[in-house]
Order: sequence, then C-alpha cells, then structure tokens
Amino acid sequence: MTTISAAQRAAQGEGRMRINVTPYLFLLVPLAVYFVWIIFPTLFSIYLSFTNWDGISPIPAPNALSLDNYNRLFTDRDFGMSFGNNVKWMIVFLTVPTTVGLGLAMIFNTDIRGARWFKISFYAPLILSFVVIGTIWAWIYEPRAGLLNSIIVGISELLASIFPFVTPLERGPGWLADRNLALWSIMGAAVWRQCGYVMILYLAGLKNLDPSLIEAARVDGANGWQLFRRVIFPLLGPITTVVIVVSVIDSLRAFDLVQVMTRGGPGGASNVLANFMYIEAFNNYSFGYGASIAVVLLGLSLFIVVPYLYRTVKTELEY
Amino acid sequence: MKKLLNRRFLILAAVLIAVVVVAGVSAQDSLIRYASYNSDEGPRGQDEAMVARWNEANPDQPVEHSTTDHEAFKQAIRTYLVADPAPDVLTWFAGNRMAFFVDRGLASDLSPLYEREGWYDSYAPGFVALATAGEGQYFVPTSYYWWAMYFRKSIMEANGLTAPATWDELLATCDTLNAAGIIPITIGTRAPWTAAAWFDFLNMRINGPEFHINLMLLKESYTDERVVAVFDHWRQLYEHNCFIPDSAAYEWQEALDFMNRGEAAMYLMGDFIRDSVPDEIESDLDFEMFPVINPDMPIGIDAPTDGFFMSAASGNVEGAYDFLAFIGSAEEQQFAADNLGRLPTRLDVDTSGFTEAQQKGIGLVQSADYVAQFYDRDTTPAMAEAGLNAFAEFISDPMNADVMGLLESLEADRVRIAAEQAGE
Repeated sequence: MTTISAAQRAAQGEGRMRINVTPYLFLLVPLAVYFVWIIFPTLFSIYLSFTNWDGISPIPAPNALSLDNYNRLFTDRDFGMSFGNNVKWMIVFLTVPTTVGLGLAMIFNTDIRGARWFKISFYAPLILSFVVIGTIWAWIYEPRAGLLNSIIVGISELLASIFPFVTPLERGPGWLADRNLALWSIMGAAVWRQCGYVMILYLAGLKNLDPSLIEAARVDGANGWQLFRRVIFPLLGPITTVVIVVSVIDSLRAFDLVQVMTRGGPGGASNVLANFMYIEAFNNYSFGYGASIAVVLLGLSLFIVVPYLYRTVKTELEY
Repeated sequence: MKKLLNRRFLILAAVLIAVVVVAGVSAQDSLIRYASYNSDEGPRGQDEAMVARWNEANPDQPVEHSTTDHEAFKQAIRTYLVADPAPDVLTWFAGNRMAFFVDRGLASDLSPLYEREGWYDSYAPGFVALATAGEGQYFVPTSYYWWAMYFRKSIMEANGLTAPATWDELLATCDTLNAAGIIPITIGTRAPWTAAAWFDFLNMRINGPEFHINLMLLKESYTDERVVAVFDHWRQLYEHNCFIPDSAAYEWQEALDFMNRGEAAMYLMGDFIRDSVPDEIESDLDFEMFPVINPDMPIGIDAPTDGFFMSAASGNVEGAYDFLAFIGSAEEQQFAADNLGRLPTRLDVDTSGFTEAQQKGIGLVQSADYVAQFYDRDTTPAMAEAGLNAFAEFISDPMNADVMGLLESLEADRVRIAAEQAGE
C-alpha cells in the first residue's frame, strides 16, 4: 500500500482535477433551468406576498410593500380553519396509512396464496388520478343513493327486521355535506390511496433485506414480534424516513381531492391551505394574499422536512 | 434506414414549420379570436351555430372560436386579457364582473360601435345604462333571463296547493308538502352560488332592493339588523323543513333530479333550469315570482344579463367591431331567443312567437320595480366569495349557526375590500 508511486499519485490528482470541473459544466444547464423555474418563482412568490397584486395590474413596485397580508392571515378565520385541517390531515397521514401500509407489506411479503393479486389490488388506486379518486368517492358518499349510505340504511333495515326494538334509519349521514364529517370523509379517500403507496415502499425495502440477518435472528431464537421489532423494523429505517417525508409532503400539498370533492365546503369546513391559496389567488383576484399563504405553506414544509432530512442524511453518511 | 428516418423527419419538420408560419401570417391578417364560456350543451350549440353563420357569410375574416368550461373561464379570462395576442371578442357578465375589467383598462370603449350601429336607439335604455361606465359603453348586453320560484304543477295540484305568494303561504306550503312526504324545496349547494339566490330574494323582499344593492356596493354594513332579519327568515324555512337535507352534497343539476323524479316540488332557480329538465317534465314546470314578505317594499328580481366585450389589447379592431355588430344584431338575438328561450335586450326583436314561459318571464321582469343582476355579479369578486362561503356555512347547520359571528366576519371582509377598492 505504501508503494504507490509519485506518478500514480499525480495521475490520481490530475483525474480528480478533471472530475472536479466537468460535473459542474454538465450541471450548468440543469442549474440554470432549476434557477429559472424553481428558485426564481419561489423568491418571486415571497416578493408578491408583500404586495396587493390582483393578477392583472402591473406588479407593485418595491416601495409599495407591506405586511398587510400577514396581519390579515392571523385574523382570518378561514386561514385558521385551513391550517387546522392541514394539521389534522398530517396527523392522520403519519399514523393510519403508515401503519396499515407496513402491515400490508409484512403480510404480502410472505408466500400466502394470492399475495400477488392482493398486492396489485392495493396498489391499483395509485394509477388513478386524484380527480378520478375524488369523483368515485363523492359518489360513494352520495347521501341518498350512494354506496356507503345504501349499505348503512340496508343494515339498519336488516337489523330492524330481526330485532323489533331497532328502528331502521331513514337516511344515513350527509358525509361530504356535513360540516363535521366532510374533512374526515375526504381523508378516507386519501388514506385509501396512500395505504397502497406505503405498502409498495415497504415491500421494496423488505425485498432488499439481507436474509442472513433474519436467519441469524431466527437461529438465536427470536420470536415473530422480536424479529420484527428488533431486526426488520430497524433495518427498514431508511424506508421509514422516506415514508414519513412523503406523508408530510403529501398532507401539506393536499389539494386535488378537496377541490374535486367539496371545494373546501361546506362553508370552509374541509378547506386546506393549498385550496385556500388557490381560491384567494385565482378566484378572488388576490394574488398577493394567495402568495402569503403559499409562503406560510413553504415555511411549514421546510420546518418539518428539513430537520428530519438533515438528521437522516447525516446518520446515513456515517454508515 | 437511419438516413431515411432523418429525411422523413426533416420533411415533417419543414411541413410543420410551414404550417405554423402560414397560420401565423394569415392570423395576423384577418382572423377574429373569439373566446367563449358557453360550455353547456344548449348554449354551446347556439354559440357554434352563430359562429358558423358568421364564417359562412365572411370567409375573408373568419372567427377562431375557442370554448372553455364555464367555471374555468371565469378564472382563465384574466390571463387571456393580458396575453399576446389577446382574444378580440369575449363572452362575459354585466355588472361588477364587467366593471372589474373596465377599471383595469382591459376592455375597449365600444361607443363608436354603438354609434355606427345605432344601438343607442335599438337597445332598451336600461341595458345601454348597464353597459355604460363613465362616458363610454364597454359591453354588448345580448340576452338576459329571470330567476323565479319554479315548481311542478302536478305535485302542487295533487296536494291542493298553488304557488305561494306570501311568506306565510310559503311556510304553510312546506308543512303541507312535508306531511305528504314530498321535499318542499330542492337546492344543490355544493357550488354555493345557488344559496345566494335565497339571500338576494329574502333581502330584497324584507329590506327592499335599495338596501340590497347598497349592500352589494359595500355601502351598507353586514352587521346591520336588517341583514340579521334575513337570516332569521332563512332559518324559519329550515325550522319548517322546507329544504332537501344534505344539500351541500349536490351540484345544482343533481338537486334538480329530485324534482325531475317527483320527489321535490319547488326550486328557486334561473330560467336556464329548463335547459336541464327532460322534455316530458318541462310541460309540468311552471314558475312564479318569489313570495312577498314585506308588502310595503318595492319588488326586486334577479335577472342577470349576459353579453360580450372586446379586449383592450385586440389586434383586429375592425374585425372585432364587425363580429360584435353581428352578434348584437336583431337577427342573432332572435336566434338566441328562439333556440334557448333567453330574452332579447333589443327593442326591435319580434316577441310574438315567444313561448308562454318566455312571455310570462318578460312580464315578471317588467312588473318588477328593480332588476338586480345576482349576488356574485352585483358585488365584487372577493366579497362574493366571502359571502357565498358564509351562506354555505349557515345552511350546513342553520339551527346552530353563529349568525352574528358569520356576519361580523363578513363585515370585516367588507370593510377591507372597500378600503382596497378606494385605494386603487
């Protein structure tokens, strides 16, 4: 090892020099694109958030900047409701589809009969666009003749025919039309899709596990739960990071389903920040105010995702 | 093989470029760009037929017609107007929605066209006034329709009812229909503008059209006790179970199905309701003026006016004038009236062949003391969104809704929006 010649070292050095310059040359074009389409619009949105631009008039000059939009945010009930709904959405997304998805992955990673068919079934919702999912679920939730209420009313009638003390329901809940249920109903549709997504991520992770580690644990006499808790789950760590980051991002950017299923209604009960921003900017002609909502959304995402990514990248590099 | 592919590719590219260049050159010459929101089946057919008639008569300056979904158009129009080239002629709504673009210098003054075509005499003065902002006319109002209480004649007759003419009769009608197992009034509030019709009519009947329009112009307060009275009356209707449950689950057309199936009796709607009613039920459909609540108040009615305008950035002023003159002609208004049942804004359109419903609608509008456009056309876009949201929140739980809280929030919006307007 100590016999590397000076010439070899020089050659290595030269190689390193070349490599140092060329990637940046290659990166120049993507970086320019990245700046024009990502960095600049982001900075420009932040600028707009200090203006009262209506989307048509000339963009206000820097001397007309004010904090009005942000002051208004703090007193705006709709903003408060949308913010709260995003938080609820995130809590649900971080718990329900993650657990269910991991469970499904554990089940279908075994050799049970029809595992492939089940995997495809659970994955299928992902090939549908959000608009299609929203439309399908809006019909499922339809209060009079929708699938869900037909089943609920049908069961209540069945029970009433068996037990005389049960009175059959005349109609089921209003779901999307009910202030208290609308958000949860939309999330039902979102979770339905998300479970399959998480399952696929974990399945990919399970396929890449080193079987010798699991065999070793079995030889050491670990039972099923210990095997999962002490060996498999820790080894899935990087996947869990991806799942958590994806869940947070998906819950913050929630828009499509809300827009299609309720447009934030009834009366803002199921509104989320992205939809609120869209309505303010494109419907109410308040681009400045819309931009300030976007900035809050951006800050929220960074606040949650960046520390997590930072920590994970650091620990992963230590391996 | 590779060479062949290259040659083929080159020829294809050359053809494509030639097409684009030729199209571009001819477009600069005489093309008239027409952007339309008439995406519903009936209006769309009428719209396309109109363009076809023009293109047949004027092959030298053809119209390029693009149709956008009605709701999407309302949002996309702002980018159209600042695009280059901007559409020359666009569909739009009279009232505050038009004023928004006029204020921002995005619409052309059409007074030379009015002069040239003699429209100051041939259009009803009220509609010329509606098109006027300052000195000029910026809008060509071509048709209007009325809002009224629509009902199924057979259902009302079977229960010994006639259309309610007063508030007490309306509540009694609800009670009778409920007892018969029929939903008294259907409404779909998934898109909440349908609820605004109830606000408009209740406010005009309780407080009079003058207060209503001043509220729309942001000159009256939303916390005024007169607005509170509107919600008190609105709530009474829910106490009498007048409305379909879970209305927020339905679009207005879906709510109409309850009426088509005979499960619901009444619907407060614009006359475009008849575009969506099956033929066999249309003969069973009738309408009356919204009931009177305070007999001392003048009668107001919502009768929104639709029409066209020319963008300020139009690159083909001559062509746009000619096309607008064609759209606004007596012949075209006659076509629209005959095909869609909309009412003409010109004085010289022959109304003798109109249907019974059209005649009745004209009578309804003419007998009114005041003609309003509609909540979201009379007030500013931002106020309309806030108002519609508040109405939706109220009707999602009318018994427990915090009306005072809603109105205070609306009042804060009104003060802010009025201040923004004054600052512009």
